[in-house]
Amino acid sequence: MNPLIKNTGALRSRITAVALTATVASLSLLTTSGAAAPHPTLVVYSAQGYDSAAVTAFNKTNPGFTVTLNDNSTGPLLQQIQAEGNNPKWGVLWVDGSTAFAQLDGEGKLVRGWLPNVSFNKVGLANVPKDHSYIPTGLTATGALVYDSSQITAAQLPKTWADLLKPQYKGEVGMNDPAQSGPTYPLIAGIMNYLGNYPRTKNVNAAVAAGEKYLEALKANGLVVNATNGPTLAAIEAHQIKMAIIQSSAGYGTELTTYPNMRVAYLNPVTALPGVIGIDAKAPKAVQDEAKKFVTWLLSPAGQHVMKTGDAQGDSLFWPVLNNEQPSNSVIPSLNSVPMQSLDPYVWGSQENKVNTWFEANINNG
Amino acid sequence: MTTTLEPTFTPPQTQPDHTGTTAVSLAPARRHRRLSPATVALWVILTLLIIAPVICFLLLATSPRLFQQGREFFTLKYIAQAFQGQTGQGIFNSLWVSTSVSVLAVAIATTVAWLVHRTNIIGRRAWGILMWVLLLVPTWMMTLGWTDVLQPFGVSQYLGINTSYLYGQFFGPTGIIIVLTTAAIPFSYFVVSAGLHGLGSEFEDAARIHGASRFLTMRTILPIIAPALLSAFAISFAETMSDFGVAFTLAYHSHFPLATYTLFSAISNFPANFPVAAVIAFVLIASTVPPILLQSRVMRKGSFAVLSGRTRAPRRREFSPRARVAVTMAMAAFFAVALGVPILGAVIGSFIQNLGIYSSSAVHLTTTYYMQVIHPSIIGKGLGGPLLLSNQMGFVVATVTGALALVLARRLVNNVGGWSQRVTDVFLLGSVAVPGVVLGVGYIFFYNLSFITSHVVDLYKTLPLLMLALVASSLPGQTRFMAGPVSQIQPSLGDAARVHGASRMRAWRTTNLPLVSRVLLWGWLLTFTKTISELAIAQILYPPSQEPASVTIQAYLANNALGTGTAMTVITLIEMLGAIVVALGLFRLLTPRGWQRIGWSGVKS
Repeated sequence: MNPLIKNTGALRSRITAVALTATVASLSLLTTSGAAAPHPTLVVYSAQGYDSAAVTAFNKTNPGFTVTLNDNSTGPLLQQIQAEGNNPKWGVLWVDGSTAFAQLDGEGKLVRGWLPNVSFNKVGLANVPKDHSYIPTGLTATGALVYDSSQITAAQLPKTWADLLKPQYKGEVGMNDPAQSGPTYPLIAGIMNYLGNYPRTKNVNAAVAAGEKYLEALKANGLVVNATNGPTLAAIEAHQIKMAIIQSSAGYGTELTTYPNMRVAYLNPVTALPGVIGIDAKAPKAVQDEAKKFVTWLLSPAGQHVMKTGDAQGDSLFWPVLNNEQPSNSVIPSLNSVPMQSLDPYVWGSQENKVNTWFEANINNG
Repeated sequence: MTTTLEPTFTPPQTQPDHTGTTAVSLAPARRHRRLSPATVALWVILTLLIIAPVICFLLLATSPRLFQQGREFFTLKYIAQAFQGQTGQGIFNSLWVSTSVSVLAVAIATTVAWLVHRTNIIGRRAWGILMWVLLLVPTWMMTLGWTDVLQPFGVSQYLGINTSYLYGQFFGPTGIIIVLTTAAIPFSYFVVSAGLHGLGSEFEDAARIHGASRFLTMRTILPIIAPALLSAFAISFAETMSDFGVAFTLAYHSHFPLATYTLFSAISNFPANFPVAAVIAFVLIASTVPPILLQSRVMRKGSFAVLSGRTRAPRRREFSPRARVAVTMAMAAFFAVALGVPILGAVIGSFIQNLGIYSSSAVHLTTTYYMQVIHPSIIGKGLGGPLLLSNQMGFVVATVTGALALVLARRLVNNVGGWSQRVTDVFLLGSVAVPGVVLGVGYIFFYNLSFITSHVVDLYKTLPLLMLALVASSLPGQTRFMAGPVSQIQPSLGDAARVHGASRMRAWRTTNLPLVSRVLLWGWLLTFTKTISELAIAQILYPPSQEPASVTIQAYLANNALGTGTAMTVITLIEMLGAIVVALGLFRLLTPRGWQRIGWSGVKS
């Protein structure tokens, strides 16, 4: 037999085997792709730690349609929504902080005039906008003073925001970068709101200037800026700093897991950071209806249970915004004991880009 | 008469090309070919994959209103903004860091390539394989490993080593340059290695016979491989300019802005400043032009043709036993620093209880983090499903990229000196410098246009679009990587097969395929592993509820679950290495022995 033909045949069969393997793998991918979203309808853009658990539980108990999830940090989600422009793919947006929602509302991108039929508590009602363009689902505080009780006692802590500028706290305080950490712009806006005595003065520029002056003084006193909660908490755990002004749930989560010495205190005032959900005004009517069902379910006892257990040592450590609902863990104090201010997101949302750019140039890299 | 089509590879008459290797000399008629349907089809594919999305993004620099990102149809104000303050500083830092890194990478890679290919250093094959492993490890994994080692209460403290001084140094320009240089070295190494193959030891002998000192001999020899050195510089420069892993981690924490981070920062705000980001992206892409111009200028000054039909296999320099051990130790030390420290750091770090947390007592080992991978603390955020999906995507993306890169590489080397080659070369290197985040957002702008989704195809937020973007991200580097080996194939091999009656496909399969099989395999593995570890594009384009492994790992790392994230990283790394071993084993089992002996090899000297 011609050896060429023999070799060629053997070669062909070997290549066929490899090609078959490749084909099977490719088909498997397509199957996976198809199985995940047989009827892609409502797409949830979310930065909540318990969102995977919520979507999974909802899909199990609501067989009519399938909700899919784009789980990302707040920044990338807003970036995608902005880039999608007039051809959006999101059905609902669910992140902490209402300033971005105020801007989306201003652009006419949110469904207005709808609220689920639930009983909001006092803080819940305080975070419902007049035009009902978004809905609060939970509440944490930003600007909470998270500290290491093995390095500094409660009695030694600063009692006011002005105290943080004292020499005794030089180099001991940290915070996050608003360019990477979603809850940090509301914290900065909260500082400006408080120091500028807004809304009493009605002068947002003066409030911004007062806040910038304070942050520059804080920097001069050795403020340590890290990207997000993770590295900021790690800096406390490694005894590089003693305390940080960050989101309350991150402090409680660390106390319950990696670092039992971590504690949370509240300067007067901290800023309310509502977890907020809004529905895309450009989505088809059917998708908007599905979104309303999803939001209603989230605020039902079943949905609240999943929210309070889906990320038990992280984002689930929030204050509920509904009557008859309690926080998931006893480590969280009564909301009445927390001095909390609420921001006007429609005022402060428009300042976000300007303030964050200033922070990057003057505080983070100045 | 029995006719065999077994290739007998002899070095053809060649001339250096813009890939830095030696390329086949071609008849003038082939240089001036007209646009064929195949060429048009190829550029259509490249337009859909890379050009259209990137141009959509770049247009925002002067015309934000085109994509509803501003009021102006034409403005230059964002160009001025991009060169001010932190963004201007980022561009300046990126340029000088990339230049320094490229010079260092070429110098180190040339030394390593010479030791591996031209001396009797011990373990030549092992060093080649380790260079491959270095190529496969992404910079963010490398930074994670270094941080685990050097951070207070980290791995070094567990091992009883005080690294507080090094920790301070590492989080600054020094650490940034070290990590970026180690990442750039493999790119330079493979280009320089290909160049060294054409350099016989007779040049070195001739210089020494004429009384040249060692230094003068080096000065005489190195310009001969100038095309390879310049090409290595260009690819290292482009890769470093576009790197996001170090910019986002090490450089950010050092408060040392790099251009890719300031670009990210511009679009992380809300509302995002896409026009300024577009200007920065343009600078990144344009910065690759000077290295190419420099290369062309040097090439025009003289002839660098060193390969001929009489080129003999280069002779190895024989070190004395003592010198041989010494250089081997030096090589081992290099890989220990470049590869061993970060990988071992990540592995050991994943077993240390409360890594990085202050403790007055001794540091303890634990398997807790691996248990958390199996039972994740966040419900529905396990690694299994995402890792399987990433592997499947890696398989498809690597296969498609390999096929396209081979076609593109053939066209690149078949048009040496022609306009097509120059355009393709600039296009490819410019594309290497496109950061993943630009490609990702550019894909949204282009593939989510109402006209495209309504009248052409609606792919946004689907797996096929994510895979297309990953192919686009890998294709430029893969093509440049393949161009060298492909250029060394003599076209007469295929012609001979055709003369003997083989069809075009059969002629290619029996002559070219055996010669490129190994480079195809390694190129496939490179794309496969890079796809699994890719984060920037995956984070932007992954379809809802179909999360790739890199996105899952990042969620833990960013959420103060460093131990779990590190354990997931280690598992992913092991899985990637396992896939490489399986692929190499399959290649050994399935391909004819001849395929394993001939053609290019990056690991066998």
